Amino acid sequence: MRYSAFWLACAAGLALLVTAPVSAQERSAVKQGFKLAAKTNKTILLFRPSVSVGEQSMGGLFEPNAAWTEQAKANIQAALDRFQARLGNAVVVAPEAYGDEARNLEEHMALFAAVSRSVIEYQFFVGNRLPTKKRDNKADMFDWSLGEGVAALPGARNADYGLFIYNKDAYGSTGRKVLQVFAMLGGVAVTSGEHLGYAGLVDLRTGDLLWLNADAEMGGDVREKDGSEKRVRQLLEDFPGSDIGKTDAP
Amino acid sequence: MMLRRSGFALAIATLSLLALSTMARAHKLRVQGAAVTVAGSSVTVTPSRDWNSLGKKIGKNTETWTLDGEQLNDVTFFAGIAPGNPLVKERSKKHAPLPKFTRTTLLVEVPELLEGTHRTYKNSGAFKLLSTQAATFLGRDGVFFTYEFTDEDQLTRRGEAHAAIIDGKLFMMTFEAPRLGYFARSENDFRALVTSARLR
Amino acid sequence: MTLGLLLAQQAGAATAPVPPPYAGAYQPQGVDEIGWWREDDESERKLAASNLVIHDETLTGYVKHVLCDAIGEERCRSVRVYIMREPTFNASMSPNGTMRVLSGLLLRVHNEAELAAVLGHEFGHFERRHFLEGFKAQRGGTDVLAWAAVLASFAPTYHTRRAYGDLELSIYGNLFRYQRNQEREADRLGIGYLNESHLRPQAAALVWQNLMAEIEASARAKGLKKPDFNKIAFTASHPPEGERAAYLADLAVPEGAVRDDGAARYRAALAPWLPLFLDDQIKLNDFGASEYIIQSLATGGWTADLWFARAELYRTRGNQRDLANAADFYAKAIEIGPARPEAYRGLGLALMKTGQPTTGQKALRTYLALKPDASDAGMIRMMLPGKGTE
Repeated sequence: MRYSAFWLACAAGLALLVTAPVSAQERSAVKQGFKLAAKTNKTILLFRPSVSVGEQSMGGLFEPNAAWTEQAKANIQAALDRFQARLGNAVVVAPEAYGDEARNLEEHMALFAAVSRSVIEYQFFVGNRLPTKKRDNKADMFDWSLGEGVAALPGARNADYGLFIYNKDAYGSTGRKVLQVFAMLGGVAVTSGEHLGYAGLVDLRTGDLLWLNADAEMGGDVREKDGSEKRVRQLLEDFPGSDIGKTDAP
Repeated sequence: MMLRRSGFALAIATLSLLALSTMARAHKLRVQGAAVTVAGSSVTVTPSRDWNSLGKKIGKNTETWTLDGEQLNDVTFFAGIAPGNPLVKERSKKHAPLPKFTRTTLLVEVPELLEGTHRTYKNSGAFKLLSTQAATFLGRDGVFFTYEFTDEDQLTRRGEAHAAIIDGKLFMMTFEAPRLGYFARSENDFRALVTSARLR
Repeated sequence: MTLGLLLAQQAGAATAPVPPPYAGAYQPQGVDEIGWWREDDESERKLAASNLVIHDETLTGYVKHVLCDAIGEERCRSVRVYIMREPTFNASMSPNGTMRVLSGLLLRVHNEAELAAVLGHEFGHFERRHFLEGFKAQRGGTDVLAWAAVLASFAPTYHTRRAYGDLELSIYGNLFRYQRNQEREADRLGIGYLNESHLRPQAAALVWQNLMAEIEASARAKGLKKPDFNKIAFTASHPPEGERAAYLADLAVPEGAVRDDGAARYRAALAPWLPLFLDDQIKLNDFGASEYIIQSLATGGWTADLWFARAELYRTRGNQRDLANAADFYAKAIEIGPARPEAYRGLGLALMKTGQPTTGQKALRTYLALKPDASDAGMIRMMLPGKGTE
């Protein structure tokens, strides 16, 4: 990863020469007034995290690697367990769904991904922010929702909040990094690797998004234990009422 | 709202592309109560709430408004499509032609025109027309129809449209949003927009 | 292509190999393969819950049954079939045994033997685990494309790539194309299964002849000079259809020619779905291809559904001569029967648009009488004199 960071920095420097300056990108937000206090007996329902890890070859194809994926999943689970102990709130895994229930859950997952993409594109990305979202930002508002339909998701009846996690990681190969530098000379950004990560906490009564951490450029090499833990910290950092990502930092 | 900013360098590397493509035309605020013309036409609407007009256009005589991004709520104005033209810009006239609005297109056939456009242009699947009925639009006899379809992002969306043919040209407003929550939430805001639409 | 295979094709072209003993339940090996299986399992979970899958037990069961007829019960146990509502000619089989059959394929084949030929071919890829080799080759291929894209970017017309997209769709869209030698091997296996089955192996060659003719018809109607087979996703990486049809015909055992092709059973099983699949095809706005498919289905005899579909196709294109033809075709659908109420709707609209309002209104009245609660009944009523006040 050290090399990758170096190339990215080079790439960024070159990009600056040929593109208009853009201000920093925001990554996480909490709904106004929401606090998850410790030991309040709230139950958090974890929906089957969508996680896949692989390598990105020069052309940008995604090459999955099962061991990395399993490692990333195990790390997310372990982090949530520690998290649960520290929060004093229960984290339970949503029951397996079948048939119409599975279809409904899948559609909600697709909606969560679409909402996360919208938040990134139209609120977090300053240069492309929608005018109404600009005003929301000034008023400290974060107003997004998956709708009341979440109340009918499997397991929702016995929980207060739903945690949605979506990850897709592709690591750049050496060829791609070289390509990236050449591309920069032409003023075109080719990112080395793709690291999408969305984590969101949803009120299971109203569907309101209480907290979202969404980034198209996550850190942490999820292929390694340390890196994977870093990713989980990064995904769950700023989680309301949590100190993950602060005290854990090496 | 609490915000955290990530590294400047990372943001530049990943978003410079996006910046290039979108900064050219900025999104505009459409303010509640202020009449405004749409798609460079003689149609005006007076929004009942604030909307955003997107910088990008899908066709020559179109304009798209949204509240949260077009994936979540999409209001599109088709303001004066002339006979012989498709509703949106064709990607390839030769290889992937779109259905055209013609001189003989009847109001009752407008739903088929929109369906054919979605299936070819957006590759939408499982399109289902739910209802079609007569309704006035822009003060003329028009058609009001509702539909449902599934997009490539695996989300099923609902849509409704109001259209009229005036002096041989097609005028239409559509609203499309995921059937989960989003459609119902903004349906009334869209209807208010439709009611406020005037032809100068 | 290996030398052995090349020789086998030249010398032994007269017969397809008898399928080898089936290796049985296979477990993935190596980083690439294990990774893909895991990814594929995840993808199948999503597929099973997709709104684009036709969740119909009878139709899915029938298609699986045809596959099993061709490849035998033992091989068939490793396959899960999903029918997707997508009006293009394709089927695919992914590494973990997920078979995707697009509704566009079901619309284009005429009998069980033709369907079995295509599904057997896909199973051949699976049995030989071509996917993995294909993936490795593809990885090399796209590396070249990436360089080309960057070089092109030095020109001012470079278009930005989307920052994100449906990675999964793009994987399945781009990777399930194999190399030509793999296609040939799968063809040989596919016909090998058919030779051993009770279905007519000669059907395999017809599938490709039909596909070629459809592509040509589509290009002609679009005013394209000659079909550019490399532009069409399915044919880009496959052996030329002409060559393929020829060697498939050669490989079919001659005594199989008298066997049943299951056309009657196929028509009966597809009957409830044909109107929907035809409608999906017509809405693609590909006049030439749609017209070809309808004509091709009609070689088994014109039905009310086929006349109706053809009428809708012509009315959608909407030139005056098309409208006149459409009126004629609707009338034929009604004459043969049993026609759907929509045939009267279409007839009425086509007549009104060609200056025959009196007969047109009569047809529209019949439509309303047959289907008073039609979704567009109100609109149609407006078009009738004296009824506009309802």
